Amino acid sequence: MSEPIISTPPVRTHAGVPERTGMVTIYKSLLRWTMAQAGAMLPLVIVVQALLAAGIIIGFGFLIPDIDTHSAQFLSTGAPTVLVMIIGLVMVPQGVAQARTSGTFTYLRALPVPRPLLLLADLTVWLAVALPGVVVAVVVAQLRYGFSYTFDWPLLVAASVLTAVMATAVGYAIAVLLPPLLAQLATQVLVFFVLLFSPITFPLSQLPAWFQSVHDVLPFRPAGDMLRAGLLSDSYTASWQDLAVLLIWCVIGLVISVCALVRRA
Amino acid sequence: MSDAVLEVEALSRRFGSVVANDHVALRVRPGEVVGLLGHNGAGKTTLVSQVVGLLRPHGGSIRVAGVDVIADPATARRCVALQAQAQAPLDGLTPRAAIEIAGRLRGMSQADARSAARALADELDISEWFERRATPDGGGLSGGVRRLTAFAMAAVAPVPLVILDEPTNDVDAARRRRLWETVRRLGDDGAGVLLVTHNVVEAERVVDELVVLDRGKVVAAGSPSQLRGTSDRDLRLELSLHPDGDDPSAAPADVPIPIARRVRVGRRVLLTLSAADAEAAVAWATTLRSNERIEGYALAPVTLEDAYLAATADAAADSTATREEAAHV
Repeated sequence: MSEPIISTPPVRTHAGVPERTGMVTIYKSLLRWTMAQAGAMLPLVIVVQALLAAGIIIGFGFLIPDIDTHSAQFLSTGAPTVLVMIIGLVMVPQGVAQARTSGTFTYLRALPVPRPLLLLADLTVWLAVALPGVVVAVVVAQLRYGFSYTFDWPLLVAASVLTAVMATAVGYAIAVLLPPLLAQLATQVLVFFVLLFSPITFPLSQLPAWFQSVHDVLPFRPAGDMLRAGLLSDSYTASWQDLAVLLIWCVIGLVISVCALVRRA
Repeated sequence: MSDAVLEVEALSRRFGSVVANDHVALRVRPGEVVGLLGHNGAGKTTLVSQVVGLLRPHGGSIRVAGVDVIADPATARRCVALQAQAQAPLDGLTPRAAIEIAGRLRGMSQADARSAARALADELDISEWFERRATPDGGGLSGGVRRLTAFAMAAVAPVPLVILDEPTNDVDAARRRRLWETVRRLGDDGAGVLLVTHNVVEAERVVDELVVLDRGKVVAAGSPSQLRGTSDRDLRLELSLHPDGDDPSAAPADVPIPIARRVRVGRRVLLTLSAADAEAAVAWATTLRSNERIEGYALAPVTLEDAYLAATADAAADSTATREEAAHV
């Protein structure tokens, strides 16, 4: 093997504390890192989302004989919320649990960066993964039932982003609170709860009264209703109470996640 | 205030009833490469985890470049570049991108990070894979190239303290040598380097100072020659015992030559003796072997490994001791 010519850059090692790197530079670098890791799976996730959307919109449709436009609209406009929830509450915890098992989580926490920025970079990437689900669900429903939407764009964008951030933050919190194996188990239970026991794809009135009030404080129904109001703005309206519930869950998820990142055992 | 880039004093950390670090003290000065040696579970990684603010000490103090790690862990982390024992998360990245990102996170300009990454790739001879992407489940790049990339990520930007935790795992012999040369250069450039390893032979070549940890305690510290503790003319006679066989050197009266140090490690006995007694030692060992009291013997110069094994011999003899520390870090 021939010896390469080594051109070592001038190194200036100071004994003192190095300058603080700009937050924007750190965030962009972390984003590049996280995006590279998630990049390979992004097309796959969109395919999975399309399949899930088809499963919910077409498959659940089979459960309702002679489905009318109203029911089809309700079912279809709940699907985006379910997709975003599945990304946030299932894929995110599984990803974080895997990072904890492999040592990646610890590796990143030892980096010379403010640790909340690690969460911010993660949130950004998961948002990029989750949000196409809304578009995919809208397209699948349009192809299946052919009804028209009445978009309230600002509300739709705000509700989608808030739902995705909330689901990701809560998913992250689950993964840092529970041991990795338990976290993965919890996500499986959550899928069933979101799909079958949450009034996202079926009306709240189908549930017993006590369960309806449980869903007033859980984030699933409020998220579903807000997104629906953004898609069918002539028939549904968003409520401030739903917004407040979503924001509270968002803050809980973020606070737990940041605490876990910053904490020294 | 001292000029040390790492100053650890009376550091203690427990995991339940297991004491992983017991009043550990060590110091790394600028330009110095300090080896932290110890068996698995000796408390090395626990110590490193406390320096970078992953674990909170139960007692003692740590200062990095004058910064109190316990009071201000975020600032202290800016002064430390760590190559962790676990593989760095490189999936989806090329070595070039990974090293550049590490440089950017430490405030290097895009151009500086790029040229430093390229220079390190040449220095470590990984240019061949510089643009190859690591894929999940260990694809794309071999374990050795990943390890060298992680090393380059720790070495790319000038920082007061570089901590390397088993940096040569999975790395081939030729590139190991290059890595050690780079470690030496980091020191020569003015950084303090804490090299965590259980590979005594490799460490001996590169370190200025050594600290030996055993069951959380510092059992020996000093320069390699101080630790060897014997003159360069001393020799080591290694006796290989039969399984369940007696140790013919157990009683000093049975050994016909003066022995400076005797260490038993499993079925091996290491005897340190003066070069002047070599002939008598060989005669004695030959007799032992022909009488079938030993399987074989070897005579060689004393190495640092002998001193290391002597310092940690108690642990080797008591291999059933509970070691839970590794499971916690």
